[in-house]
Amino acid sequence: MAELSPVTGRYVTIDVLGDQCKVFFLENGDPNSQPLVCQHTAGCHNHQWRYLLEDEEVTSDYRVIAYDLTNHGKSDPPANKAWWKEEYRLTAEWYTAFITSFCDALELRDPIFMGCSFGGNEALQLALHHPDRFGGIISVEGADYSPGFFLDWWQHPHANAAQVSASGVWDLMAPQSPDSDRAATWFYYTQGSEAFRGDLYFYSRDHDLRGRLGEIDTSNCPLVMLTGEYDYLTTPEDSKRTAEGIAGATFIEMEKIGHFPMSENYPVFKTYMQQALQKINEEHKAAVG
Amino acid sequence: MATPTVMADDWVENFTRVCNQDEELQAHGKHFDCSYMLQMGNHNYQVVMHRGRVEEILVDPGPLDQRYQFLLRASEDTWQEFGKTEPRPMAHGIWAATFREDMQMQGDLLVLMQNLRCFTRQMELLRVSGVPVQEDVSAPKQREPSQ
Repeated sequence: MAELSPVTGRYVTIDVLGDQCKVFFLENGDPNSQPLVCQHTAGCHNHQWRYLLEDEEVTSDYRVIAYDLTNHGKSDPPANKAWWKEEYRLTAEWYTAFITSFCDALELRDPIFMGCSFGGNEALQLALHHPDRFGGIISVEGADYSPGFFLDWWQHPHANAAQVSASGVWDLMAPQSPDSDRAATWFYYTQGSEAFRGDLYFYSRDHDLRGRLGEIDTSNCPLVMLTGEYDYLTTPEDSKRTAEGIAGATFIEMEKIGHFPMSENYPVFKTYMQQALQKINEEHKAAVG
Repeated sequence: MATPTVMADDWVENFTRVCNQDEELQAHGKHFDCSYMLQMGNHNYQVVMHRGRVEEILVDPGPLDQRYQFLLRASEDTWQEFGKTEPRPMAHGIWAATFREDMQMQGDLLVLMQNLRCFTRQMELLRVSGVPVQEDVSAPKQREPSQ
């Protein structure tokens, strides 16, 4: 008998600000359960959520959906434009439109959004611009501003871009995380160097919510921020500072883990993620009475 | 400059052996050819790599003894922490310590980037060989080199 995973993969075609995007997503869980929509990190793909997607304890309560952002994994660049004639630079406006369009296409009701790294920053953009669209938001390794990583080294033609991208993020992971999962995360990073730099345009340049955190309304959309203590890019101090600027936001520091928690050490991440989901559940119930 | 200690000589031997026996480094080091300087506190260690193997380590070389391409510099405290099984956050990697601690990458960074995979692995082998800034540089009980 073949050992088949309960995780299924499908494509959906969506419109994002006029771009025709055929999006690949993986999912597991009851279609009627509350969706938990997961965003991978910059230059990567949805396989970072592999353990969560197969975690029965979570999928028995949530419909876990992990997509590949356009230009990543199995989601091709937009089909209706000559994308190869322009430099790829992800903007906050496009990224936000992508996620709302994706959720609309799947007719998701009250989804919880969970994004990591540049997805954690995007989570804050969603909290600012579309709190009415989500049942809760989890920003993993996110901050109001995260400069310093929009670098040309990621695509330098005289170096091996795949290895530079992968080894450049190696020590964003904690030394306590298992070698096999750190190596797998490294491997995923060898696959996305062409998108990595453009993603980091959003991460380190276009995303800048300094001075705007007070506008985020968490009254009907609980916001929890999780950051690993070994993350040298978005440090726990960065996330804590950000959460303190948002009324009602919760910050939880994660010990002995780094910037790719769901991929580098899922059992450790899970304990914190469950705290976040519980917090969202409690606050959402309180908000709706 | 202070005289290198016997400890440094032991480290040269340990680090050379650990690197040259490491399965990962040997599996991917076919083109790992470069010469780099590690500045650890007051001492300099120039590591000459050829085809993924440590060809030579010069301890406190003279200013014109042998050219090198890039340099990694940090205080003794940072290197000592880096060499631990569970270093404190931010001293746990060459990028982390460069972004957040007192580590500096200097010289021809393109050569560093061209060899980043193997160089990163090699630096973490300091956790097996020990670093020559510790009083006890005997290899700590942690991830062993591949046999």
